[in-house]
Amino acid sequence: MKAVEETIRSDAPATRVVVVEDDQASADVLQRRLQANGMVVSVAHDGRRGIELVEELLPDLVLLDVMLPDTDGYDVCLRIKSNSTTAPIPVIFLSARGEVVDKVRGLSCGAADYITKPFQAAELLARIDAVLGQARNPRVPRLARSAERAAGERRVARVAIVDGALRAHVEQLLATRFDLAEDSDMPDVVVLEGNASVPADAPEDVAVVRVTAGRGSDDRAELVPVDAQLPRIVDLTVRERGLDHDLQAAAEALIVLAAAIASHDRPTTGHTERVAARAVQIGRALGLDESTRMTIRLGALLRDVGHARLPGSLLAKSGELGPDERAMLERRPVLGEERLDGTGYPDGLRAEQIPLEVRIVTVADRFEALLADRPDRPAVSESEAVRILQGAVARGELDAAVVAALATQVRAYGGN
Amino acid sequence: MPRKVTTSIATAHEADAERRHEHRFQVSESIARLVMRTTANNLPLSRDDRPYQWSTTTYCDTLNWSIFRAAQKGSAMQLRIREYHRTRPQGVMNPGAAWIEFKDDEEDTSLKERFGVSMDVARSFLRGEIALPDPDHGLAERAGRLLKDGARPVVVTQYNRLAYNSLDTAIRITADHNLMYFALPWEARDDNDQPSPLGTLLAMEPDVIVEMKWYGELPHWAIDLHAYLKENTHEERPSKFIVAMRWLLGETDGAKKKKKK
Repeated sequence: MKAVEETIRSDAPATRVVVVEDDQASADVLQRRLQANGMVVSVAHDGRRGIELVEELLPDLVLLDVMLPDTDGYDVCLRIKSNSTTAPIPVIFLSARGEVVDKVRGLSCGAADYITKPFQAAELLARIDAVLGQARNPRVPRLARSAERAAGERRVARVAIVDGALRAHVEQLLATRFDLAEDSDMPDVVVLEGNASVPADAPEDVAVVRVTAGRGSDDRAELVPVDAQLPRIVDLTVRERGLDHDLQAAAEALIVLAAAIASHDRPTTGHTERVAARAVQIGRALGLDESTRMTIRLGALLRDVGHARLPGSLLAKSGELGPDERAMLERRPVLGEERLDGTGYPDGLRAEQIPLEVRIVTVADRFEALLADRPDRPAVSESEAVRILQGAVARGELDAAVVAALATQVRAYGGN
Repeated sequence: MPRKVTTSIATAHEADAERRHEHRFQVSESIARLVMRTTANNLPLSRDDRPYQWSTTTYCDTLNWSIFRAAQKGSAMQLRIREYHRTRPQGVMNPGAAWIEFKDDEEDTSLKERFGVSMDVARSFLRGEIALPDPDHGLAERAGRLLKDGARPVVVTQYNRLAYNSLDTAIRITADHNLMYFALPWEARDDNDQPSPLGTLLAMEPDVIVEMKWYGELPHWAIDLHAYLKENTHEERPSKFIVAMRWLLGETDGAKKKKKK
């Protein structure tokens, strides 16, 4: 048993720290001290390299000097906190500047702590532990769900209640419908008492039921009383979570179907997939959550399903469409092409009446179309396409913030 | 001198009684430290501004960018929402207190009026659901017309401000650190209790923006300080609004005008 515990400890991920410090000697001392305490340390000697390391490694913590050769630590901290990917990473300033205004400025830039040099190693390590303890790490890898369940197989519940008597009572009630999990199993549902935390090793998307030993439910805290109804409520909770997963799977199936239709009927095979991927990238740059990005992807992939009912000659036509042809195109279903100035279709919506998701897909579509050769014009470079879209922004046709997000991405990846 | 009154909609109201001079300078951190040290010897810290608090300003414009185009020609009225926080917020229009501000800029002078309101009121105002009283310069009426023409929030600035002003507010000197420009993917909605998330970071100023604002004549020490700033400035600065809009529309790298010799 002891050997197993040691294996688990040695497999536990080490704390990864990026140190941004221009003074070589100070950086070396700091690195050795942190490594001696089991941390994996990467060092940058200027702000630019520091930001690169943080974006590349996504460490658990950044230790940041204020005075750097190319910029200052405040600037580096703000850039870390302005990037939705790196923003959750806690930053601690290490600086010889000890005036109150310096500390206030550092903390107001989003740092978790500010330590004045020279510092005692014990204090630094204690503060690191405190900051890491407070930081909820959102980048915990999602655990794989258990393999597909055989028909009739019972679901697995894990009762993570400290009080022995209450735990035994809950397990006795649930045993009628559920298999009870050992700590190391992958449960379908975790049962907790009150506001207790979900165990760190539980799957991220596991269903959770919170119970109370008292009589009657507490609606405010959504606590479920421990009585004969508990197994039914837990069962419903698990089924609801399963439905969410099924809906997601159905959306994926719809996407596959749309892709099949598009590849069969459209001369520009692959355009829809590229638009969807680009739109999701823009959504990510705008900090939209996963659910919204999923909606964007689905919308982008399905928006041209209506093309399946249009004549091939119309889809392949180059140049201006006639009034009848345009009317036929605008009758196609799903997203259409709304324009900020109200001249789009199908509903002629204006500005922010148009959902952000639609504005994103519209920009992605125009951008990807510009990158492809068409019968009436050659493809343009990504940078040129951005310039063309910025012209459309200036004319009030496209959303400025969406095009700005696209431009930032193209610049970041060295657009051709 | 500014006048302060309270209205039925706003808990606070401030308005310049006359146009005031406004000059902006982009200087290095070390020059800014010297300038603010001199300033601190002559003026008290502003009682209304916590040192280094975060100012978040959300600027509006119309679909055809009429405010920006007018500002580039040297004369425009900015319509903006200002909020203050101890730490930098990740969104704008956060629940709490806000200022609805109107600022009429000319070449070297400006006229400002602002209303302290709850963010609920600010959002309602942007939706055109309420009108503000117009006691002084007709700015609120002009703002109402801009909203009818489709003005909506488009771009945001955030910065740490250190502010000094005389007790009679005849002169005010500020230093803005960590100035950042953000796009704002604005969404019209009726719920008022959630902030609107910021969009892409468009740019960060590497330097410090020092602003001098004053009525009438500058005192002697301030004349010397103004000359020192002019001598040491990197760029003659257009307003933050113009710089932000240039970034947003991809028109320039932010500041075109070179320092006049």
